[in-house]
Parts: sequence; C-alpha cells; structure tokens
Amino acid sequence: MLVFAISDKGGTGRSVTGTNIVYRHALQGNDVCYLDFDFGSPTAGAIFSVSAVARGTRDRNGLHEYLRGECPQPRRVDVWAESDREGLRTRPPGAGRLVLLPGSEGGGELSALTDELIGRCAQLFGRLEEEFDLCMVDVSAGRSFTAELVLAATVRMPAIPFRWLVFHRWTRQHIIAADGLVTGDDGLLDVGARFGHDPEVLRDRIRFVRTAVLEPDAAELVGLRDEQRAWLSACDSELRELARRHGVGRTAMLGKVPLDPVLQWREQLITDEDVLASKIANAETAAAFDELAKKIVDDSAWEGL
Amino acid sequence: MLVMGEVQTGLLQNSGEISESACRQVLGLMAGETVRVSRRPIVHALSPERLTGVDCALPTASRSRIRGVGTVVTRCAVTGGRVAQGSTYVRVVRSETDRRLPWSHYLARPGVVEVLGKAKAADLAEGFTGDPAPGCLDLGAVSGRFLDLVQASPLLDRRAPFKMARTSLRWVAETGEPSIRFTLHTERERTLRLTHPGPFTPAVVDLCEDLALHDWLLTSLLVIVERARIGATPGAQAVARLAPAVDHLLHLWMPAARVEEWLTPFWESLERRPGFTRQWRSLVDRVRDQVAMNTLALLTAEAGRR
Repeated sequence: MLVFAISDKGGTGRSVTGTNIVYRHALQGNDVCYLDFDFGSPTAGAIFSVSAVARGTRDRNGLHEYLRGECPQPRRVDVWAESDREGLRTRPPGAGRLVLLPGSEGGGELSALTDELIGRCAQLFGRLEEEFDLCMVDVSAGRSFTAELVLAATVRMPAIPFRWLVFHRWTRQHIIAADGLVTGDDGLLDVGARFGHDPEVLRDRIRFVRTAVLEPDAAELVGLRDEQRAWLSACDSELRELARRHGVGRTAMLGKVPLDPVLQWREQLITDEDVLASKIANAETAAAFDELAKKIVDDSAWEGL
Repeated sequence: MLVMGEVQTGLLQNSGEISESACRQVLGLMAGETVRVSRRPIVHALSPERLTGVDCALPTASRSRIRGVGTVVTRCAVTGGRVAQGSTYVRVVRSETDRRLPWSHYLARPGVVEVLGKAKAADLAEGFTGDPAPGCLDLGAVSGRFLDLVQASPLLDRRAPFKMARTSLRWVAETGEPSIRFTLHTERERTLRLTHPGPFTPAVVDLCEDLALHDWLLTSLLVIVERARIGATPGAQAVARLAPAVDHLLHLWMPAARVEEWLTPFWESLERRPGFTRQWRSLVDRVRDQVAMNTLALLTAEAGRR
C-alpha cells in the first residue's frame, strides 16, 4: 500500500503526523517505510532523530539523486538502528521494520517532469511495495511537480493500491484550501484526470486528516471563561458546517489529531515513553496516531463516499 | 581472468503461483526467443538472455581506476511459479589493446568485458565482493531492472501473499583449486567466492542462481517464523501468520536440482557448513509442530464443549 501525504499549506503538521502514523504502524507489527519527497525541505530525518540525515543525506545518494538517475538505489536508513533517540534505538518486540528514505540536503524542488523521472519513480514504488506493508510518501505542501510526479507514476502501476491523505488545520482558511487542493483548478482530481486517473476512483482514494484540533471539551480549555468557551463552541459548529459544504466533513475525514504542546514546540515522534514515563505528551495524541495507523489500511474506512 | 555476477531473488508479485504457460509469457523478454522450461523435479522457467553494453570503471579493492568495455548478460528465471530471479554475469578478460575498439568487436563477444590497461584478478574479485565504490559497474542494478520488468508484467495481479525483501548474491568465480566461500553481509546482501577446476561454463551461473534461490527461501522462512512470534502470541494467531509459508514456500526446497554433476561437491560442502538444509529442516519442523499443536488445542477445546 502506497500512502501519499499532502497538505493544503505549509505548517499543518503533515510531516510530523505522517511520521508518527508510520511509527505507530510499525509498532503494530508491519514493515513500513517513509519516503521524504518534500524536496524543498527534507526534514524527516530530524523527526526520526537520525542526525546523520537530519536535513537530508549529503552523500549524493538521496531521493533527489535517485530520481535524477545519478545513483542506482536511494539510501535507506534503518530507524531502529540509526536513530539517536534512546527510546527508538531498539526495535520493540513484535514491531516491524521502520525504514526512512531521506531526501538530499540542498536538493531543491523538482523543476520539470520528464518521462525518465516518472519511470524511475514508478520503479521505486514498485520495488518498495514488494517488501513493505505500508510506504508513506511525504509529498510537500500545495500544488507541486512532486504531486504531479506521483500522480503520473501511479497511473503506470494500476495494480498497486494507493491512497491519499490531505492534512489540514481546523480553521476557515485551511478548510477552504484543503478542498481547493483536491477539487480546485490544477487540484489533485484535475491533474490526476489529465494523467489518466479516473476522477471518481481517485476521489474515493482521498481522505482528510485534521491536525492540531482543539476540541471544545478539551482539558486545556478548563481554565477558560464561559464566554470564551461559548465563542469557541460557536466557531467549531460554524467550521463543521463549512467543512461539510466543502466536502471536507466527517464522511471524508479519516481522523483528527488533537493539539499537543509537544508537537507545537518540537516536531518529533511521540513514543509511549513520552506519554507514560516522562508524561510530556498527551495520551490522546498517541491514541489518535494509533487509530490513524489502523484506519489507513482498514478498507471499511475507505468505502465509496 | 575471472567471472563475476549478481543474482537478485524475490517473491513473484502474484497472489498464487503461476502456471507454466504464464511463466513463458512473463519471461518472454525478447520477441522471437523462447523461454526454456524444465519440469522435474520442480518447474523452472528461464528467459532468453539479454545483453547490456557497458563502458565504465570496474570495482577494485585498491580503488585504482580500471576501465572495462563490453557487454554483460542478463537472464530471468521463475521457479515453482513463485520465486523470481534476475541474474547478470560477465567474463572479465584482458584487452589486447589499450584503447576502445569499435562496438562490433564487443558485440561479437557477448557477455565479455575487456579490461583496458593493467588489472589484477584478485584486486577485481576483492573489489566486487567487498564494498564496491559508487559509479562502478553495478551488475545488481542491471539484474534489478530486468527483475522489475518481470514483476511489472500485466499477467501478475501484484497481490502477493506476504511482503518480502529481495536478496542479492554477488559472486566471483575463478579457475583453480576447488573452494567455496559463502558470506552473509546485511539482511539482504550475500557474497560468494568460488574457485572451480577447469574452464568457466554457464553451469557455474546455474549453481550461483540455485544457491541464491535457496538462500532467499531460507531467509524468507526465517523472517516469517520471526514475524509469527511463536510463544509470545496466542497459538492460533501464530499459526495464521505461519500459513503463507505452508501455502507458498515449504514445497520449493530442492537443493542442487539443476546443478551439473561436477559442481555438486560445492553444494555438498555448503550443506556440511553452514548446513542450509539442516537449518531449513529444523524451521520446517518448527512450523509443522506449531500447526499440529494448534490442531490438537482446537480438538481438545472441541471435545471439552461436547
């Protein structure tokens, strides 16, 4: 299964949520890999705490060089072996493989799509799909050549299953932008159809994930005045109505991740240790990632809209 | 001087095993050339050979730059309708001149790379089975590309019963006093150094492919048994996770089935140490014991309900 992670705008928490989902999926016993296709700023290494590739690899063997045909295989980082974080360095019993394919430091965004580039991308996806239960591809924010690249590559491999996750924050502008990214001009459906995807089928393979959501009944809001709480609650129902009108409502949503102080201050994996031992992260956050990691492969969550 | 090759082995990306006729189509990499199929003791289909022209540095242990020009041979195989292999090899010989000749010269010598300038066989052998520098002749990349072609065949449904990494076996064969050395490196990489009496024949390639196939089978069964977490998970769950091995792998073990008589001593020596079949048998017994124990538990539970 290939999963493409995209967001309407930058700063939505796409990378940090994507990496956490992949990490939870590995803990659930699956072999997973994470491909850093955010070519402008490849920072997945930092989130996995692998300092050697914190901002991409420097050894001319990252995804950039692979796609440009400059190295035969992109570098693979075994996170269980190479992470600097104590809590990640041993593979927990029953966990699957957790592999990162880093981008290249100073690589830059793609500037054009060529047939060779699409071919190499499809070849990479095909090979990874042979050995991993889940391959998550971080496709950067907004409309980009990268999004076009993976849409073009997936057309060439009709038998390989894939899904899209669109990450957005729970605000007015983000809801409208997330809808636009999917259904607007040059959006995913538009570009997908141009490359040969059936828009109906593609629509069913796209789900939304809300990030940094502050629920009106959250523990953080206990200290608020009644007026503030009433205002928040009104906002929330307004947003729900807006989301429904834009096709970003509950039915098209795969899940939501609550606002967590840890993720606001540092992009990192939330381990059970962060929740149970040091208690810096909220249990709800870890539970939300765990739930998303299950839903991503649960066909009943992906039935036609 | 020497022969070197690399075999990549992986699970054929199909839900079940494919028939002999499907094998012929999947492996028909070149129009007009036939796929060779042998049926006993296991169905084995071998594609026609394809050439790839190369002009590049050869890997050396001393990191000295040695240029080789010529062609490498690739062929793909499907065993038991279930395991796919891409295999590339090349005979490395000294060139009679110091400059590159017209392509017609190299095309008349398929599967031969001529070395321009000085080179030592030992340096090349060590370089190839050691840690080849990037940018050198990469036979694994060629094998992988052809294996991709097989795996992308529209005849395959790509719904493989389990996920498994490909393994790669890099090998070097030379003429001399018989010896064999098989080494495991990372999870996916293996090397083989072989010295055989008499001149090189393609039978040596058959031997290497047979070893690569059985090493992949053994590696895969180990991974499946590890994933089952016997003892740490409930019996029924462990057995469910072992099921793909029973369905798709256990019947494929046929060591040296296609190895010529004069090369079988090499297989036999690997059977003594490290003992491929010994490890395989013990794993198979473990899988079957788990299945038997689970059946017994089910029967006991059933009897208790009556």
